[in-house]
Amino acid sequence: MRSYAAGRAALAVVQLAVLSVLVFVLTSLLPGDAADMRFDETLSPEQVSRLREQLGLDQPALERFLHWFSGVLTGDLGTSLISGGPVSEIVRDSVGATLVLTLATLAVVIPLAVALGILMGTRENGRLDRAITSVTLALSAIPDFVIAVVLVAVFSLKLGWLPATWIGGSLLTSPVLLVLPVTVLLGRTVCLLSRQVRAGTITALNADYVVQARRLGVPRRRLLLRHVLPNAAVPGVQELARTGDTLLGGVLVVEAIFAIPGFATALVDGVETRDIPTVQGLTLVLAVAALLINLGADLVCNRLVPRTELLR
Amino acid sequence: MRARIPLAISVVLVVVPLFIALFGPLISVDSNKAGLPYSADGVLGTDGLGRDVLGLLLVGGRTALGMAFGAVLIAYAVGGLIGLVAASTRHRWLDEVLIRPLDVLLPLPSLLVISVVAVGWQASAPAITLAVAMVNVPTVARLVRAAALDAASSPVVEALRMQRESWATIQLGYVGRAVIGPVAADIGTRITLAVFLVASVNFLGLGLSPTASDWAVSVSRNREGLLLQPWSVLAPAILLVSFTLGFNLLADRLVHHTRRLAVSPV
Amino acid sequence: MSPLAKVTGLSATAGSAVLVDGVSFEVFAGEVTALVGASGSGKTTSALALLGESGSGVRLEGDVVVDGEVVVDSNGPTAKAERLRGRAVAYMPQHPGSALNPARRVGATLRELERLHHPGQSVVQDALRGAQVPGNRETLRRFPHQFSGGQRQRVALAQALTCRPKVLVLDEPSTGLDSITRLQLAGELRELAEGGLGILLLSHDLGLVRELATHVVVLNAGQVIAFGGTDVLPSSWEPQSTGTTSAGKPLLQAMNLSASIRPRGRIPVLHDVDLTVDAGNSVGVVGRSGSGKTTLARCLAGLHERSTGQLLLDGEPLPVLRKRTREQNRRVQYVWQEVRGSFDERRPVDQQVARTAQRLRDLPPDQAHAEAVATLARLGVSAMTAARPPSRLSGGELQRAALARAVLAEPDVLICDEITTALDDDGTALVVDLLAELKTRGTALVWIGHDLGLVAAVTDHVLVIDDGRIVEQGPPATVMTAPQHELTRRLVSAARLGRPETPPTPPSDTADTRSEPRR
Repeated sequence: MRSYAAGRAALAVVQLAVLSVLVFVLTSLLPGDAADMRFDETLSPEQVSRLREQLGLDQPALERFLHWFSGVLTGDLGTSLISGGPVSEIVRDSVGATLVLTLATLAVVIPLAVALGILMGTRENGRLDRAITSVTLALSAIPDFVIAVVLVAVFSLKLGWLPATWIGGSLLTSPVLLVLPVTVLLGRTVCLLSRQVRAGTITALNADYVVQARRLGVPRRRLLLRHVLPNAAVPGVQELARTGDTLLGGVLVVEAIFAIPGFATALVDGVETRDIPTVQGLTLVLAVAALLINLGADLVCNRLVPRTELLR
Repeated sequence: MRARIPLAISVVLVVVPLFIALFGPLISVDSNKAGLPYSADGVLGTDGLGRDVLGLLLVGGRTALGMAFGAVLIAYAVGGLIGLVAASTRHRWLDEVLIRPLDVLLPLPSLLVISVVAVGWQASAPAITLAVAMVNVPTVARLVRAAALDAASSPVVEALRMQRESWATIQLGYVGRAVIGPVAADIGTRITLAVFLVASVNFLGLGLSPTASDWAVSVSRNREGLLLQPWSVLAPAILLVSFTLGFNLLADRLVHHTRRLAVSPV
Repeated sequence: MSPLAKVTGLSATAGSAVLVDGVSFEVFAGEVTALVGASGSGKTTSALALLGESGSGVRLEGDVVVDGEVVVDSNGPTAKAERLRGRAVAYMPQHPGSALNPARRVGATLRELERLHHPGQSVVQDALRGAQVPGNRETLRRFPHQFSGGQRQRVALAQALTCRPKVLVLDEPSTGLDSITRLQLAGELRELAEGGLGILLLSHDLGLVRELATHVVVLNAGQVIAFGGTDVLPSSWEPQSTGTTSAGKPLLQAMNLSASIRPRGRIPVLHDVDLTVDAGNSVGVVGRSGSGKTTLARCLAGLHERSTGQLLLDGEPLPVLRKRTREQNRRVQYVWQEVRGSFDERRPVDQQVARTAQRLRDLPPDQAHAEAVATLARLGVSAMTAARPPSRLSGGELQRAALARAVLAEPDVLICDEITTALDDDGTALVVDLLAELKTRGTALVWIGHDLGLVAAVTDHVLVIDDGRIVEQGPPATVMTAPQHELTRRLVSAARLGRPETPPTPPSDTADTRSEPRR
């Protein structure tokens, strides 16, 4: 168990190193740079190249990478080419909204998905199971942005019940701002997770060890909570990484639609203005977050069912 | 998991958008003649730029679905090949060299990668297709490798070798058939996932140009006009949802089918 | 003495199919009652009725009384049945090791059962002692996957014993055990019965039943066809010695054969094994599970590539299977131990068997098929059965089909790895008969097994293998009557289980030597 955690953590460190190289390469490959973007065509080529020098864009890629990477290790993500301020500041300013959005969604998704999954799993092929299955299957086929556009049109524009954007509002003063974004994000993630939990429940209910426990006289309620649930959660937790990916994609879309000043908004701005240090910083932070979710999911799985092999 | 929906309905749901995407451009209506924005002219009215919604609809499917299909095709060409080679090699190091790097790529957030790539080559459909393919390669390679390894290491293959069956008979007749089930089911879900990704990138405005006729771009562009001229948003959205829903249902059916095959009484 | 459990006129129906028809039996404290019959004869359905349990869509009817309570009446299972589960009757499934929850520590489940059935008492330690599991803290804190296969079975037994049942039901407990472990099991079950437990034994292992049972009920197709003492069992089949003493010239020779599993030779499993088999002769290799005998067989067959040493066929070097010529391939054939996994589940069995003759002897398809059908029929597998996919054949039928598949190559050397484990006495007789005939035609046999009694009866020379080394060898008669090595002595006494003329002596050491069940 402990050696599993050590091995898995070692892999995460390697992943982190490779990821940072990848992030740098990927963003450096973007054609055009801030010098191109910041000034219009009236500038002479000499002026543009002088500007490049100023911004350090004329140095070889390897040197730029080493400079950037040594900064990353000390927590310095570089300087934004557009605002001139440190990238870490941009990260700090935008992380709050995204974090609140994500955590609020997860706080609803996880209990809901587990409850639905177990409800469906214990009534396999019953009427309730079929009904929920059909709804989740249909719901998971609708892209986030379609749901978002329709919800905004109906509840904000037509009925005027809920605010359509975050502009001028703060979560602390008006949590009602969260209602529409979280509803949009719920859709697909709940569907994905509850299907996994359902499958896990059915597998566990039919497993030899649950049948045997029942035959030894363990009552049904206890059987579900103590014998079935830990095993039923495994496929769900294993799927957490993919759910996380879906959720992150959803957050990007939702932030754009509801004009939430979060990570995604900062990222899209950075990409559009070719502010490479900002893009690198934000991408790296997001990649690290995804990596930690993966690590956490694997460790929880291993704790739940300790025979889980490394990387299988 | 089985939703009791007749096969015919799933097929219709998939075929209608597919048919429009394939043949729509051939019967193209002149969509560029500008009229009034969000007016009721034409069968489905006009969009925010005053263009005919029906005309846009007919040409907008090619990118919306074509890019997703292309991406899955490339993902399988590359990932499938890596997976098969990794599973069939007798050299452990080759397996490691092929698979380990993919473990590192696995946690990269897909929409993030695609966004960065998409903006780099603004409005380029091939670039987005490639990026979507790239984020799918690791999972495809692992899936194919696992399925093939499972079959290739079974005593059946040894028994076939003992009977001196040819390499081709063993690989195509047994290992290949064993891999096809999980792969077919995966392709089903993966295509809807790719449609989602492509659509999300385009919706965010990081992909194709904001005036493109693509279904997702149309939804994004006309969303303020939803109440003025609902069809400009709903028609492309319905086609997208119809396709992914139908495909989900078909994939679900397939998963069910292969699972039933795999469970044999002992 | 009144019975702990009394079943009278039990029937089970699923739709129009009758699974169990008018079955009656009793279980007494301190005695073993055996339900005997082939798989599908209704043993398990009858036994589960003690728990008031029936499969979905199955209707139970009859009169089942356990510990003075009515569990099943003419309306099916009663409400009382549920309360008696574990407390009055505990059931041990066929592979009890897989019935442990992978997500829970062993101690947690044991204490849970203690609280449920005997709150306030401490029964866990007694149960662990009864199942011969060490009762220390570390053991209880372990997860099931941290135990060996044999230990897992003991832990499962400890769970059942923690409930302190009056009746213990054991479903085919000897399946997959090697002969020494099976002997130990017999001793342990006898001890449990002597402690006052009523045991209901479901088995097709007649040796074990003869050894333990006081009452025997023979089932066939859901009906009782005989009942009484062990004398109602068919007389045990004694293999006719088919040994020949004519020494031909050496056909297959293995010299200094060593092998390891895992890459880079991490775990050695065979050490410097020498083996020679002459044409028309047979060599038996006997050992416990995990002793390396299957690896030896796979080395000879050329399937195990991580090996050193020399293999000769007719004095010519014999490479691994991948590099063998077609003729070499044809001359040396191997019969799988794990038969079900060695057939393609998508094609009919007869076609798969026939392919051998097509590929290795160039027979046209129809001729190959005819030969396959004839060979299978000789082994007692009808043409109709063989035309089905493998999932519709029983383990015994598949085992014979696997033999037929190898025999169709007309091999000079036939390596048989535990090919009678799923066969009843009749099936074993058919197989031994066919192999004897092959021998007279000059085929050399290598017979791998764990049952020294059977192997000694059908071979000319016996090797006893332990931990990858040959510890004793010689003619079967010598090995059986004057065993030199400790392991051989234990194998000899294990081979006598259930043969009344020579009561078995218990194994001399009491340490946990039960090893992994065969997969």
